Amino acid sequence: MKEEVIREPLWKIRLRLWMRSFKQNWELFREKKLALFGLGVIIFFAIFGALYPMYPVLMKNIFWKDQEDMFSAMKPYDPIIGYDPFIPGHPSPPSPRHPLGTDPLGRDILSQLMYSTPREFTLGITAALITVVIGTMIGASSAYFGGVVDTFFMRLADIVMLFPTLALLMVLSAFIELDLLKLALILGFISGFGSITIVLKAQALTVKVRPFIEAAKSAGGSDMYIIFKHIIPNILPLSFLYMMFGVTSAIFSEAVLSFFGLVNVRMSWGIMIHTAESQGYLGGEFIGKFWWLWLPAGASITLLCSAFYFLGRGLEEIVNPRLRKR
Amino acid sequence: MEILSVKDLKMYYKTKLGYVKAVDGISFTLDEGESMGIVGESGCGKTSVSMTILRLLPENAEFMGGKVLFNLDGKTVDLVSLPESEMRRYRWKGISMIFQAAMNSLNPVYKVGDQIIEAMLNHNPKLSMDDAKKKVAELFELVGLDPRRMDQYPHQYSGGMKQRAIIAMALSCDPKIIIADEPTTALDVIVQDKILREMKKIQEKLNMSMIYISHDIAVIAEVSDKIAVMYAGKFVELADSITIFKKPMHPYTYGLMHAFPSVTGERKELTTIPGEPINLLNPPKGCRFAPRCPKADERCFSEDPEYVEVEKGHFVACHHPLEVGEVINFGE
Amino acid sequence: MIKYIGKRLFQIIILLFVYVSIVYWMVELMPGSFVAHFIMNPKLTPEAKEALKKQFGFDKPAHIRYLLYMKNFMKMDLGISFLYYPRKVVSVIMERLPRTLFLFVTATIISYALGFNLGKRIAWRRGKFLDTAATFVGIVFWTIFTPILAIFNIWIFGVLLKLLPLNGFIDPNIWRKATISSQEIFKLLILNGGILLLVFAVALLIASRLKTLTAKKMTVWMSLLAVLIISFIYWYTSGYGIYALDILRHLILPIFTLTLLSFAGSMLVMRDTMLEIIREDYITTAKAKGLPDNIVRDKHAARNALLPLVTNFVISLGFTVSGGIITETMFSWPGMGRAYIEALNSQDIPLLVGLLVFTGIFVLIAHLVADILYAFLDPRIRY
Repeated sequence: MKEEVIREPLWKIRLRLWMRSFKQNWELFREKKLALFGLGVIIFFAIFGALYPMYPVLMKNIFWKDQEDMFSAMKPYDPIIGYDPFIPGHPSPPSPRHPLGTDPLGRDILSQLMYSTPREFTLGITAALITVVIGTMIGASSAYFGGVVDTFFMRLADIVMLFPTLALLMVLSAFIELDLLKLALILGFISGFGSITIVLKAQALTVKVRPFIEAAKSAGGSDMYIIFKHIIPNILPLSFLYMMFGVTSAIFSEAVLSFFGLVNVRMSWGIMIHTAESQGYLGGEFIGKFWWLWLPAGASITLLCSAFYFLGRGLEEIVNPRLRKR
Repeated sequence: MEILSVKDLKMYYKTKLGYVKAVDGISFTLDEGESMGIVGESGCGKTSVSMTILRLLPENAEFMGGKVLFNLDGKTVDLVSLPESEMRRYRWKGISMIFQAAMNSLNPVYKVGDQIIEAMLNHNPKLSMDDAKKKVAELFELVGLDPRRMDQYPHQYSGGMKQRAIIAMALSCDPKIIIADEPTTALDVIVQDKILREMKKIQEKLNMSMIYISHDIAVIAEVSDKIAVMYAGKFVELADSITIFKKPMHPYTYGLMHAFPSVTGERKELTTIPGEPINLLNPPKGCRFAPRCPKADERCFSEDPEYVEVEKGHFVACHHPLEVGEVINFGE
Repeated sequence: MIKYIGKRLFQIIILLFVYVSIVYWMVELMPGSFVAHFIMNPKLTPEAKEALKKQFGFDKPAHIRYLLYMKNFMKMDLGISFLYYPRKVVSVIMERLPRTLFLFVTATIISYALGFNLGKRIAWRRGKFLDTAATFVGIVFWTIFTPILAIFNIWIFGVLLKLLPLNGFIDPNIWRKATISSQEIFKLLILNGGILLLVFAVALLIASRLKTLTAKKMTVWMSLLAVLIISFIYWYTSGYGIYALDILRHLILPIFTLTLLSFAGSMLVMRDTMLEIIREDYITTAKAKGLPDNIVRDKHAARNALLPLVTNFVISLGFTVSGGIITETMFSWPGMGRAYIEALNSQDIPLLVGLLVFTGIFVLIAHLVADILYAFLDPRIRY
């Protein structure tokens, strides 16, 4: 057989290989009904959040045609300072003017819900991204270098895992004003140095013993080159998968902290429930009577958290060989 | 007396892309006390044959026809059509098995002795614990293990010892037939040979039937009365061990014979069979060996050769069987 | 074995000191740290402030204060709570601990039992309806916004059906004439539960030596039944039964909620481990031996899959101390988790730090127990 000289540029081959494995994995992924459901929910919320700017305009043109001045003065569809003076009592149940009702301060629930959606995404994805970037780099380096580096980071992970995340965040909130960015950073760092490094290190170890690493070393590749070009690309699928779980836990943590009023955020799904709770609408008989105060926000948190989790599980069944069917 | 008779057995694996025809119309008979070998390359469906007989198949396996007639104490049953609860009674007591990966065939969290006793109690609940232990001790001695070892866990055994324990376990319910699937592949050559000889001795002593499955025709020839050569889900040739070595009729058998060095025999050049076995997923029409066969012609590619008895006890499926002494060259 | 435990113990003590130091410095470096909070707290009398100053050295530089804190920590003295002044932090924790432990140990056991049983079944029938349904329901509850689930359960069972008390720990109307404190009853309940668990463990050990399945089942169930009857007689004759019942009634809803929340965790771990084990050769061997399907599943597959689950179980017990923050708050259960929120709301920094430190101790102990248990369950591990 004649040796054929490959003239195609490397990136083209890489792209083609990538496309092919993407197609194969998509075939596998399509079989996972729950993961598809999760993906659907995520897309739904993405669109839902993106539509937020249109909502007040739409409502204005339907219900506030004659009261333009009033509308611009009271801003009835503003999630934070809005108020609808034409409704006799707040909180008011769902009506055509307010499809999901209003909260005790007279603000529109649907607009709060829509306004918060992109913020939840940003928080969740930022925190998860930080986690994964840290976890991947540490995992790859500890596996590659071993020795002192490995021992240090693994013991560090042991200690980080000792901290109960939620309780720790609560203690921190007593000292510093937590806003979304700080929260995302703290969440990202705590989980980045924790258990994820151990999982990714284990994966990186299986990559490290593969022959192409030895080949790259003997070809004179520097440590950094090997880590970034050979080890990290091979553990990326697993990192990506853990990112999904990271998003779930970040959104959940924010919601809980907001619910306890410990985060300095003007509006979020957790704050919505916090408002209802602090005004006493979640006690006894009121729970069923004022369902629109907690159900939309609660359902949104649950749906989005579980959607990312479903997606993560679905990907895990593809990425993780031990869960594959034969 | 015939104890097992497999007739046109077909078992396919269903996949997204179609059927994988792993066992595609296999027939043979096995007499009491007889030992038979099944030889073939890896992936040809040897293991699937044994798993089909015992019905230990994954979910996507489908029976496509055929019969497995098993004769136990004068009663003949078709194992294929038996309900699962009935089938369980024939496993191990009727047909037991020594698995390919003996290293992992013992459950790591239970004592080896207990795992053997479990099988015995399952088929004979009235057996007392003391009798069971006595029997295990006997079995251990039979296979050359120290009976005191029965209270140890599998991880305390060496590879060869595990293999012996597996054999003891296979013997525990006095089965009529033992299927040994690559029983010694994982062991080093000296232990391999020793264990095979001992198995042969035990088989003759207890007058059991035996089916050996291996990729190595030389290993199997020593212990089998007859040998079936399997290729791509089908038997291509079956004859007694001497005949198959003296006058192989199928080109594939010939190729296999020359692919392994003989330990005791004369020096000769080793040939390899070029090409890959065909994909069992939707195989093309015609003889499945045709693409690799130097003797293949048009007919071979269009017409499936019939599996016929050319002389007593010698079956072959080939349009152009080899003459005695014919030399074929697979080319390089 | 002893040597291994000793080694682990040594490691754990070092980890503990590192952990406490981190907690200390984290708080110390925060804006408006310890000192400021002590000085500003209006509840403290000048004398108390002086005493604390001496004990914790607030007039001294930070590193000396750290050494003093560690010295006090070794004497198990974590300072004085502001909220419950003049009680010690340790005594507040010790009062809260049994309540949290009882609630969470019970809930964790139930949820793991459920998760174990469901997990092995859905793995055995992978891809079937039960698998999908249980995974779906499990993950929805696993990721559900906890306060919402609590509110919902309170609403359904407390408000609509009026079956169970809405929240709290005891019903004051019943306890008005009580001659015994709720804490005493609580301790008795814990003792009772502990005995039950112990008998269960012993019965399991005995059962593993027995031959037939019926004998095994009988041993376990009979001994459990016997303990239950004896406890019932005790509570009935002592006259404390009504109080114990009251506490138990208040326990049902939180336990139910916690079980719903967390069974998916153990179920999915069990499922994934089972899927891996089902492919092992010894499972095929067990089937080939002619064993019935459920015995292959339970005795051969599930027994091996138990190992990672047990580790998870013990470690999750370690985290119960902090994990209950939401649930305890929603059900007004006066345990450790609620103490976090109370301490937070009243800026009770010593209690807050104390709780954090204590949680760490608890998790570390759980790790040690998990290691030892693992060694017992897996004959391959000999240290």
